[in-house]
Amino acid sequence: MTTMEEYHSGSESSFHSEEADNIVKECIEGVVGNDDYSQSLVNKWTAGIVERCLTQLVKQGKPYKYIVTCAVMQKTGAGLHTANSCYWDTTMDGSSTVRWENRTMYCVVSVFAVAIA
Amino acid sequence: MDEDQTEEETAFVVDEVSKIIKESVEATIGANAYQHSRVNQWTTSVVEQCLSQLSKLGKPFKYIVTCIIMQKNGAGLQTASTCFWDNSTDGSCAVRWENKSMYCIVSVFGLAI
Repeated sequence: MTTMEEYHSGSESSFHSEEADNIVKECIEGVVGNDDYSQSLVNKWTAGIVERCLTQLVKQGKPYKYIVTCAVMQKTGAGLHTANSCYWDTTMDGSSTVRWENRTMYCVVSVFAVAIA
Repeated sequence: MDEDQTEEETAFVVDEVSKIIKESVEATIGANAYQHSRVNQWTTSVVEQCLSQLSKLGKPFKYIVTCIIMQKNGAGLQTASTCFWDNSTDGSCAVRWENKSMYCIVSVFGLAI
């Protein structure tokens, strides 16, 4: 009985990246969907994407602090490379990165979830 | 007096972190021109150097370091981030660096344990 309880609470308190991926994809589609890259709107888009993602993640009610980052880049042939590294508790914390694109731009969103003790 | 010192030791000090980031970036890509074959190595090296210097500070924080390197060819790039955390103990710092052929943006997020 004790073993089953421990296993159960283990899976509840680890980060589920597939759920986060779905949330992020919906938020990107919702904000940017079919639009073409626009210098004047890109500021609003990145802010809109991160806020929407954060709201949806927090709604899940899990005991986590979240960091959501978003980069939107115009497609002109330039090279873009991103990397991230984390110093945390690997059993409880987790991250998820979604790469999305349409005809005129790339969008890279990362979600980092850090468990609250 | 003791209490003040303890606060300094356990707070996220933006200037300190900013200095660490600048040093890591300069050491890794300082004098180099954008090279597609090496950029993978560079981003990894920048984040790893930052992280090891940050953990050496010995503060009770979890850290997340992200690095973006982009070739300068006229493309527009916009980045944003938002955080759901404890405003009194957690903090972040972002540094934008560039040379003739590329931009490098590094962000560090520190979350108190």
